[in-house]
Amino acid sequence: MIEARNVSKRYAETLAVDDLSFTVAPGQVTGFLGPNGSGKSTTMRMIVGLDAPSSGWITIDGSSYRDLRFPLRSVGALLDANAVHPGRTARNHLSWLADSNAIPRSRIEDVLGKVGLTDVADRRVGGFSLGMGQRLGIAGALLGDPDVLLFDEPINGLDPEGILWVRGLLRSLAGEGRTVLVSSHLMSEMALSADHLIVIGRGRLLATGTVADFIERSAGHHVRAVSNDPTALTNILRDKGATVATDGPEGLSVTGLEARDVGILAAAGGLTLYELSTQRASLEDAFMDLTHEHADFRADQTTTGGHA
Amino acid sequence: MTHTSAQPASGSVAVASRPSLRAVFAAAVRAEWTKLRSVRSTMWALLFTIVSTVGLGALLTSLEVSRWDNRTVTERTGFDPLLYSFAGLNLAQLSIGVLGVLVMTSEYATGGITLTFCAVPQRRLLLLSKVTTFSAVTTVVSLVSCVAAFFIGQALLVPVQAGVGIGDPGVFRAVLGGALHLVLIGAIAVALGAIMRRTAGAVAVLFGVLLVVPGLVLLLPSPWNDDVTKYLPSSAGVAMSAHVQFPNLLTPAGGLVVLCAYTAVTLLVAAWTLQRRDA
Repeated sequence: MIEARNVSKRYAETLAVDDLSFTVAPGQVTGFLGPNGSGKSTTMRMIVGLDAPSSGWITIDGSSYRDLRFPLRSVGALLDANAVHPGRTARNHLSWLADSNAIPRSRIEDVLGKVGLTDVADRRVGGFSLGMGQRLGIAGALLGDPDVLLFDEPINGLDPEGILWVRGLLRSLAGEGRTVLVSSHLMSEMALSADHLIVIGRGRLLATGTVADFIERSAGHHVRAVSNDPTALTNILRDKGATVATDGPEGLSVTGLEARDVGILAAAGGLTLYELSTQRASLEDAFMDLTHEHADFRADQTTTGGHA
Repeated sequence: MTHTSAQPASGSVAVASRPSLRAVFAAAVRAEWTKLRSVRSTMWALLFTIVSTVGLGALLTSLEVSRWDNRTVTERTGFDPLLYSFAGLNLAQLSIGVLGVLVMTSEYATGGITLTFCAVPQRRLLLLSKVTTFSAVTTVVSLVSCVAAFFIGQALLVPVQAGVGIGDPGVFRAVLGGALHLVLIGAIAVALGAIMRRTAGAVAVLFGVLLVVPGLVLLLPSPWNDDVTKYLPSSAGVAMSAHVQFPNLLTPAGGLVVLCAYTAVTLLVAAWTLQRRDA
């Protein structure tokens, strides 16, 4: 369980994180979603005590990270997969990490196997591809068999097979009752891998809730109906309180009525429907809707980009 | 640690009781040793330190021996038999210094420092573990260098009968002093690396203090130049390994105290900085 309360982080002129409060519950995958530069990485760095909040506090299972002794046994984090000494082999990298928290060296083989790096364990990390680096970073996070896991953009640089593997891994970790927080700027990815979402923009909390709620709540949910007489259909639907807009020469975009009702009403009015479908907003659309009001982040991304 | 949340189903290595700070420190030292050992360039640099210290000492001693016949009686009586043997220490303190700086700055350069801080969030303790580990390594390297430089240097002085034995008064102390000089410079360098974070900056400061500042101080009007020079880290270090008491140097014990004070102050500043600053 991760708890953040009224957390702010100020870097000189920039407020990177602004009064952010959220809870990350165990047993599910929580997606931490926001555009680049929205404060995701800064928040994750504060969770593991790398940066100190300017105000507010963050705890992991009730303790501040900096108070944890042998923290890798309770919290595993993948923050920057490239942040590894290139001259060290994968096995040596995991060796010092294990030693630092008195984790048995036998765990190294376990996690190497789990991320599929056993065959390259004695190769220097400098020669690794981006995807192999990500896998090594994930191995490091899993090393202490922690209850809480943080992954900052874990699918960066992974091939489709690797992406599927990460999704499965996140699911299984959450299925074991662990707390899993995954950041991403890819809404579509979060739709597939997360159960719960925390959405931020410009360092501020925009929304929290389940992925399903999030899509449901968004404005884009509507019914598309194409008929032989759009004008007549419009009148019928408006009588029933629906909001109707034109969508192409014969098409209508209907909100406020389900597709089933539109079909019944059209039949009752003697109209022929050529097409009737429910248009679900993608998480992408929902996200764009949500961040639209906060669109100013686009204009000065560069000011916060350094701490993205 | 108490878990209010559901425990993972898999076998957990989570500890039942809170580990002691002693255990945290011991683990951190072990990790730092694994780190040092697993980068090949460190080992090469340490080997280079030994070879250059011994080699330079032997070279300069040989040169002195070849000029011995031209030396006046005064020069011969004032001759410090260890001075040339330990001439390589001036170079060794630079290579040990660069390595010490890199103990910290290489982690900042690769970004590995974030993982290090994640693994050991007790940053003062982490700094202590880095200094301890590096100093243990430099102690071995420095002792090997100084003992070898001593015996080779003295063997070269045999023809002119100007050498001393390891059992002679003050000689063993001077050999240990030479080694300790390097170890303390190494510790100062680790602290500088932690304060500066960038290799170039930290090396510049270190070399500035060891090489440039002594030259500038000499330009001060007398007797300030000599008075200040005595207390510079480089002079304090040289005093520790001197066999003859030079007028412009502190006593060996005085040199030790001054160099220890420099080490303590830079380490305290480094500890304070690491604790307060974002990673």
